[in-house]
Amino acid sequence: MKKQSFKKTIEPYLWLLPSIILMVVLILVPIITVFQTSFCEISKAGVNRGFNGVENYKAIFSNKIFWNTLLNTAIWTVVVVVLSTILGFILALVLNQKFHGRKIVRAIVVFPWATALIIQSLIWKYIINADYGALNLLLTKMGIIDSYVNWTASPGMIFAWECWVGIFVSVPFITFCVLSGLQGIDQTLYEAADVDGAGFWHKLFKITLPLVMPSLTVSTVLSIIYVFNSFPIVWTISKGDPADQTHTLVTYLYKLSFTNGRSGEAAAVSVIGFLVLSIFAGGYMIMSLRKEKQEEG
Amino acid sequence: MKKFLAMVLAVVMMLSLVACGGGDKASGEKVKLDIIISQYGNYTQEWWKQFEADFEEANKDIDLNIDIVSWNDIYATVNTRISTGEQPDILNISGFADYVADDLLMPADEYVSEKVKNNFVPSFWASNEMDGTVWALPILASCRSLYCNTDILAKAGVEVPTTWDEVMAACKAVKEKCPDVTPWGLDISMDEGQAAFAYYAWNMGGGFVDDKGEWALNSEANIKAAEYMKALVDGGYCNSDPYNDTKYNLYPQFNNGTLAMMIGPMNMITDDCTANYVVADMPGENVALGVCDQLMAFKDKNAPDQEARTAAITKFFDAFYDVETYSDYMVYEGFLPATLDASENLAKNAENYKKGGSDATGSSEYFETFCAVLPNCKFYPMQKAEWMDVRNGVVEAEQQVCTGSADAKTVLDALQAKVAG
Repeated sequence: MKKQSFKKTIEPYLWLLPSIILMVVLILVPIITVFQTSFCEISKAGVNRGFNGVENYKAIFSNKIFWNTLLNTAIWTVVVVVLSTILGFILALVLNQKFHGRKIVRAIVVFPWATALIIQSLIWKYIINADYGALNLLLTKMGIIDSYVNWTASPGMIFAWECWVGIFVSVPFITFCVLSGLQGIDQTLYEAADVDGAGFWHKLFKITLPLVMPSLTVSTVLSIIYVFNSFPIVWTISKGDPADQTHTLVTYLYKLSFTNGRSGEAAAVSVIGFLVLSIFAGGYMIMSLRKEKQEEG
Repeated sequence: MKKFLAMVLAVVMMLSLVACGGGDKASGEKVKLDIIISQYGNYTQEWWKQFEADFEEANKDIDLNIDIVSWNDIYATVNTRISTGEQPDILNISGFADYVADDLLMPADEYVSEKVKNNFVPSFWASNEMDGTVWALPILASCRSLYCNTDILAKAGVEVPTTWDEVMAACKAVKEKCPDVTPWGLDISMDEGQAAFAYYAWNMGGGFVDDKGEWALNSEANIKAAEYMKALVDGGYCNSDPYNDTKYNLYPQFNNGTLAMMIGPMNMITDDCTANYVVADMPGENVALGVCDQLMAFKDKNAPDQEARTAAITKFFDAFYDVETYSDYMVYEGFLPATLDASENLAKNAENYKKGGSDATGSSEYFETFCAVLPNCKFYPMQKAEWMDVRNGVVEAEQQVCTGSADAKTVLDALQAKVAG
């Protein structure tokens, strides 16, 4: 009887063991290593020369490029998440209506999400190229512009394009998260509102928004983490150039480590990024736990 | 019981995955050599695959494991391997000073045979010397020249430029007379922005170092060179995104006749080139940039038999630099040889070898012309320990100047102070 009970107690842990080992090996060990590396001097060739205190952090904080990168990261995250959430929400409202070819339109909306980010970024890089890009050609043929426009003339313009590509690829995810929420709303609520004479905006703010809020919250928090950590768009389009002015934290730390050979400083940037993201992830967990408690209560 | 068995199997699978991570340099009696080769073209992999098969057939006691890695990834790959103690036995890359600084490399004299050593073009062999020791072998070289589309220049009513003022005037004329054409190709990207610095600085009387070999990055000539690049950008004379356009983006434009002039290597012209062009001397001081990549051997303290390993490395280089094999590789990739016998051979018999991915053969005339120019080319000061910082620094400086975010003197003064103290 005792043996049976012991087996029952240990069995769930044995089933969890492979996942726990994987998580420790693939998540915990790299995190610890990065923290450790950020306090070490790493040579350009990649050799660890030992503990050097907070020298890497000092070097990072005294570098103007880091602060510009931090600002870029904030702009990048806010602009992409906010605009893609608004556009995704509107698109979800449209796709929730009944119309001919709805399934086809839904499938088309998935395309940007289903295609590899590097391919999308590369395509946009070629579209906006002033010398041989499709955008200038198209606008010229349509008679909108007379001569070719340099769409990448300044770091600000390049960064704005990168934000646009970020929005373009993020919209489908938001759309489908919101759409799943919309489909769960009981239609009788809208019928009752119609009887009461409620208009479009009234129904939107009093029924739709409150009821899709849980889906919207999840998609926003996940988007923040995903967009903050996004590497392929910025790296493919500009590699953070010109003069390191279009970096986000992730591309900056990659360049520090693998182009400039300053892996210690790159680890320090990585730790800073990790701490910033932890705040968002923590907020998400607190919200989830509160929601669970409310549901239980 | 079934559940218990399933659990045991899951644990065994996990452990076997972990076990997969282990490895041994020696496979049986064979000496195993891990080699990383840079990807020079679309067909690099095929050539090395054949070399590996031929070499292993001739040397049954050696097992080659050759990885071809793109230039975009090679520094990341090598650094990661070094940081985990898994450095390759032989590496083909550009630059070796950082590896010497960490005592990772074997001196070339320890593994290169006398025959191979005496066969290198002397200036190439010496270019890999640091503190009196040669640490790497030149694998290949390329030489940069000015390429001009003669049809476009004729339409614009200008001659092939020989001075920097003439270059600017030619750009202006092309822009006015041929609005669909980009007058000048400029690459100041992270890929090879340091080459742009060399082209303009050297040919305006400046450079990376002074006559004594000390860093001289903020010289008057260098400031003038950076300002000249800015004038090209501000005038709208160059490609629209010189910060991200690499030379590989510019080659097709020159080959299809939409780019009038650019400085590039001798293998930038493709078989389907539709442009009529001439290869001209560099404007100004007529100093051509020579680029020479290296092969180097890493130390391996854990090798089971050091003598056998060194002997295998020697055999590898003997086989690679064999005149027939090496000549074949040079034509295949479209580069210039760094050895005397291959230079001589290709100046006469390049037609016996095929270019990678096509049935086209090499041209003896081409090799004769460029091999003669090569010894007079100027090379990057790669043997200086600060080279990588300088390389990245000049690219950043060029980009800052050209975007107008800083003036040339300020950024070059700052770079000089950072590098030379």
